[in-house]
Amino acid sequence: MIEIKNIIKAYNKEVVLNIPELTISRGEIFGLVGNNGAGKTTLFNLVLDLIVASKGEIRNNGIVVSQSEDWKASTSAFIDESFLIGYLTAEEYLGFIGELRGLNKTDVEHFIAGYADFLNGEVIGKKKFLRDYSKGNQKKVGIVGTFLGAPDVIILDEPFANLDPSSQFKLRKLIKDHAAQYGTTFLISDHTLENIADVSSRIVILEKGKVVKDVLKSTTTLQEIEAFFKPVAEPDLV
Amino acid sequence: MLRSANFGKSLATTILIGFLALYFGILFLMLGFAIPKILADEFPDADLVSKFNSFLLAYFGFDLFIRQLMQGLPTISLKPFLVLSIKRSRIIRYLLFRSALNFFNLLPLFLLVPVFFSTVIPAHGTAMAIVWLVALIFVVLFNHYFSVYLKWRFNETNNGFYLFVSVFIGLFAANYFGIIDFKAAFGQLMDLLLVQPFLLLGFPILPLVFYFLNQSFLKKKMYLDLLEGAKKDETVRDFSWLSRMGDYGKFISLNIRLIWRNKRPRSQFLMTILFLGYGFLIYKDTGHGVPDVMFVLGGIIMVSMFTAVFGQFFPAWHSKYYPLLMAQNIRMKEFLQSFFVMNAVVCTVYYLCTLPYAFMYPKIVYVNLAVLLYNIGVNPYIIFLFGLNSSKSIDLDGSAFFNYQGVGASQWLISFPLFFGPVLLFYLVKLVAGAVGGYLVLGLLGLAGFLLQPVLINYFSRAFLKEKYTLIKNFKHS
Repeated sequence: MIEIKNIIKAYNKEVVLNIPELTISRGEIFGLVGNNGAGKTTLFNLVLDLIVASKGEIRNNGIVVSQSEDWKASTSAFIDESFLIGYLTAEEYLGFIGELRGLNKTDVEHFIAGYADFLNGEVIGKKKFLRDYSKGNQKKVGIVGTFLGAPDVIILDEPFANLDPSSQFKLRKLIKDHAAQYGTTFLISDHTLENIADVSSRIVILEKGKVVKDVLKSTTTLQEIEAFFKPVAEPDLV
Repeated sequence: MLRSANFGKSLATTILIGFLALYFGILFLMLGFAIPKILADEFPDADLVSKFNSFLLAYFGFDLFIRQLMQGLPTISLKPFLVLSIKRSRIIRYLLFRSALNFFNLLPLFLLVPVFFSTVIPAHGTAMAIVWLVALIFVVLFNHYFSVYLKWRFNETNNGFYLFVSVFIGLFAANYFGIIDFKAAFGQLMDLLLVQPFLLLGFPILPLVFYFLNQSFLKKKMYLDLLEGAKKDETVRDFSWLSRMGDYGKFISLNIRLIWRNKRPRSQFLMTILFLGYGFLIYKDTGHGVPDVMFVLGGIIMVSMFTAVFGQFFPAWHSKYYPLLMAQNIRMKEFLQSFFVMNAVVCTVYYLCTLPYAFMYPKIVYVNLAVLLYNIGVNPYIIFLFGLNSSKSIDLDGSAFFNYQGVGASQWLISFPLFFGPVLLFYLVKLVAGAVGGYLVLGLLGLAGFLLQPVLINYFSRAFLKEKYTLIKNFKHS
């Protein structure tokens, strides 16, 4: 689905991302972890063609993202608050995204009803603009927005951050269910290893712009990636 | 940070504002020196001080109005102070005192001090003159604290400003038509002060009242939940019917929400409506009929004010969510076309609004039609051309007047081709082919631009795609 070839991103000759080859197949839930500055958001921005690569190319469904806009019809993303429109209410925002993805008003209403539990009744029907919502609720609306119209690829940058604990659990389930139902390819990054280990089918660790670990999920994945990030290998207490 | 695109330009803007301040300062100073002579020439027999006094209220009234439009509110970022061990009243006092050191409070002194030395002292002696000057300084302070208080209040309500304008116009009309002569009354009060100096004791009352009103208002508002609570009260109007307008409807409805729900575009939009009255100023018959160029200029200003005001910040109005627009399922072409269509729709409405002027001059029907076509078919491309270089994001909640946030060189320059381009073109064609030829060229150019829209929009969407990364970066770092 997503093919990354010889991608190098450098700012003033300082290489921040260097991936010779990485292919994410259709239906994969691709979890990306790494410390701050590892290049996670840079990678997502490159896939979305929001920044320009210094070298190499990225294909989304066979389309080179920097040469055509055709991939936009099958891709949705929520990276940060610049993916929200502050002066719209939650319904209007979802309605706008829905229209962009070719859904009509009733489709969108029906769709929103399906996420009532995740949105938790605090978000819908509030006659309040998104700019006045809390960070967590803003994020929920943004995430739900990416699901609209069942795109083939959904990219979420740190979707679990700022969410309350119950919402984190609900989101895990939503992502897994959505992928199972539509065969969606997810690209997700996060700092909470448990969430990533739970939802992903494949986990990649980035460090200083390079892929240092690339594993399919197994029962020991969480321990493996935890071990990677622990500063010193300390013996378990149990 | 130095990589911020803001860095160089905000310096340039500061320098420009500095120059403007200097310019007005010098202008007022010159006026201050010239006034005694002007008054002596105009009213050779009158008491000059008394004559000057009789004009003061007009000045202060105008001052009050300009302040509403241009003076900024005294603000500091409150959050960091609220948790420190500084008393709230002290923060407020600092805020209000500091606000008095305002350019708008200094400006009248440039005018008053020369008159004080050249006219008032010789006529009434130093002591009385000082009483006179101090009283006027109190009036300036009243204007200041009154304006600030009104502005706080207007920030809370939607219609306050329009109420103010109506009351202001009402009082002005009452004075103008001689129903009540406020101007003379104030002049007489100042004359009386020069005879009865103890009246000075009354002058501090009003400024003090408004100082304390400000203080109590701020005291009540200085809690975080209240500051934030005020924001939530906006009315959420439903514009969903607009989405039924077909393919461009969704963008047009987004733009209408943008305009209506954000302070800065809303005030700018209301300003474009005020400009519809511009015809009364510009269509002036000087005895030889109105020059053709004036018809073109008047038409272009009234019909395309909206284009200029919104075009100057295209696409920066959408800067806060530009990445969303670039990553979502929208083609660049649709994005540009939607601006093109919206501009055509809105400007046609503005054209219809200018038609009543045809009762004054029937030719306005076709002059403005030529201008409208030009504005629909040519000006959008100029806006796209300048928009490719936009480098600053726009803070939608800022004030519209004298707000230089997000203004770069291209925003200063763009009004020249938009307004004066067609006027100049008309003027040149008129020299060769006469006025009708000029109107025809404007209209035909517009029509050509309209018909070439598919080709030209394709060209610009490629250009905008090429500049996409730069625009995203610039909007993010400003």
